[in-house]
Amino acid sequence: MAQPLLLRRFLASISWKPPQGGLAPLCSRPLQTPWHSPSGLAVIPSQVRSVFTTKVSTTTFNIQDGPNFQDRVVDSERPVVVDFHTQWCGPCRILSPRLEKMVAKQQGKVVMAKVDIDDHTDLAMEYEVSAVPTVLAMKNGDVVDKFVGIKDEDQLEAFLRKLTDRRACL
Amino acid sequence: MAALAAVLQSRSLGFPWLLRTWAGGARGAARGAAGLHDYDLLVIGGGSGGLACAKEAAQLGRKVAVVDYVDPSPRGTRWGLGGTCVNVGCIPKKLMHQAALLGGMIQDARNYGWEVAQPILHDWRKMAEAVQNHVKSLNWGHRVQLQDRKVKYFNIKASFVDQHTVRGVTKGGKETLLSAEHIVIATGGRPKYPAHIEGALEYGITSDDIFWLKESPGKTLVVGASYVALECAGFLTGIGLDTTVMMRSIPLRGFDQQMSGLVTEHMVAHGTRFLKGCTASRVERLPSGQLQVTWKDLASGKEDMGTFDTVLWAIGRIPETRSLNLEKAGVNTNPDNQKILVNTQEATSVPHIYAIGDVAEGRPELTPTAIMAGKLLAQRLYGQSADLMDYDNVPTTVFTPLEYGCVGLSEEEAVARHGDDHVEVYHAYYKPLEFTVAERDASQCYIKMVCLREPPQLVLGLHFLGPNAGEVTQGFALGIKCGASYTQVMQTVGIHPTCAEEVAKLRISKRSGLDPTVTGC
Repeated sequence: MAQPLLLRRFLASISWKPPQGGLAPLCSRPLQTPWHSPSGLAVIPSQVRSVFTTKVSTTTFNIQDGPNFQDRVVDSERPVVVDFHTQWCGPCRILSPRLEKMVAKQQGKVVMAKVDIDDHTDLAMEYEVSAVPTVLAMKNGDVVDKFVGIKDEDQLEAFLRKLTDRRACL
Repeated sequence: MAALAAVLQSRSLGFPWLLRTWAGGARGAARGAAGLHDYDLLVIGGGSGGLACAKEAAQLGRKVAVVDYVDPSPRGTRWGLGGTCVNVGCIPKKLMHQAALLGGMIQDARNYGWEVAQPILHDWRKMAEAVQNHVKSLNWGHRVQLQDRKVKYFNIKASFVDQHTVRGVTKGGKETLLSAEHIVIATGGRPKYPAHIEGALEYGITSDDIFWLKESPGKTLVVGASYVALECAGFLTGIGLDTTVMMRSIPLRGFDQQMSGLVTEHMVAHGTRFLKGCTASRVERLPSGQLQVTWKDLASGKEDMGTFDTVLWAIGRIPETRSLNLEKAGVNTNPDNQKILVNTQEATSVPHIYAIGDVAEGRPELTPTAIMAGKLLAQRLYGQSADLMDYDNVPTTVFTPLEYGCVGLSEEEAVARHGDDHVEVYHAYYKPLEFTVAERDASQCYIKMVCLREPPQLVLGLHFLGPNAGEVTQGFALGIKCGASYTQVMQTVGIHPTCAEEVAKLRISKRSGLDPTVTGC
């Protein structure tokens, strides 16, 4: 699962060239003017960005099983926000889309894994989830931050920034 | 072994099934605190009794495992951890009962000045989803509790291999062997399907299914006279469904019969149809999809037919012992009903194997008694306690539209034990204040206290029919436990204005023949 993702990112980064030349990190530079891709098609910046964030770089995914979690979360290169949620939990239904939106705004710096605790009880037990929603911030397989319950957008932004900022310290 | 398990866990491989196979499958690979077995205590059944016993034992420092498994109902319904009460009993029942009561209150509200639009409609789907979501949160809560108390949990179907060993099979067919020094059987029971009624199994549902229906059951026939039958019929009527109860003989067998009669009288007056003295003979499916039920009136011998959307069998429950292979362990059951025979210590015919809750012979089929028995058992096994469970004077409530709470003996039991001459019954018909403005019929609101005739007139039983009967009866249960006398009850000042205070004001005896109707203040 990780390999196709890497491949896609690679392809994405070479399909358009920033004006200064060289490969820029994905989605890091805001574009002011329409770009001409190598094929000669004019691409409007905002569309380019949204194409990469939604189609090319999936920022949110549902965990299928233990090995899937190992692969996409524990072994992930990027920091991962893990949303432990479930269908019978009202606050989860409010938090999940809100968190998804804020993660998407991070433009691929962090991804989000959704774990339904009823489907993956063992995983939830392993990570000591008791109340839901519980959100873990994971980096290099370790839990570096956590919160339980609903948060508003500003609080989520701060939570995510803390996670991505640490990355810069490495 | 433990070191390897720790390594596997820290790597977050997410292969818990692998860990368990290693831990439990290889006999002797994981040593319990007792040394000889995998666990000190193995509890079979994760319901009210089982979970309480397991958690208490773990709290006392023992190595405990709970195995729980739900065989789907014939209709395919299944549920999570927590047992009958949480999933298909007390909890969803009380919530749906509340839904029905609220319908009545919305109607009453008009009299109290609220502008309520007509007609008031009920959406089964919305109620069912809310109830089912709450139950699922309880399943989760129990799972977390076991984890917190360090009780090992396996979702496997258990059966005995020998006196200390149990074979567990997962849904996928994987087998594990678990051994324990002590074993507690708390597998509860399941609803009975009628044996000789054509189409019963194929077309009917039971209480296992009603709370999990996604769509409204529609026009329903409830067969049975148990509290399950009456409570279900009660809330179905209350939410506006056309409901019929078919009874073979008396309602609420085992309960005070005068009170039971008043319960059904209230239901009749409030829209539930009753087919008394009838038994179903056949259930067929019509081209429309509806069910056609044929029954016989036992008195006249006449046959009759009716069409329903749903047929709910509530004719009794059978203990979950058939698939346990009890013979392999030497555990004896009552041949009449397959319940496990136990003594006052909850021990079976095998000294280190115990049985609590609905599965045990002679026990009330109630959650609180199973829980208390489970805790006391754990304390006797591991906590140096000698306290036995007291099954006398257990209070309970039937959550029919007009609720019936009782504690102690029924009038007929008291008379059978002490003789008519030695029993005094005080009674009263009362009217809840809230019913007045709401113009509700209070004809069946009735209380009776069964006492010994000799001073100080020990209270043998209390029976309360009225709103919030459970809340009212709970406090008086303490009084009876403390051996309250009629004199003491009369010396208790009532809280006004309540229905409960009427208990403390009972003055008219049945023997006097005086009119027991109480007038308001």
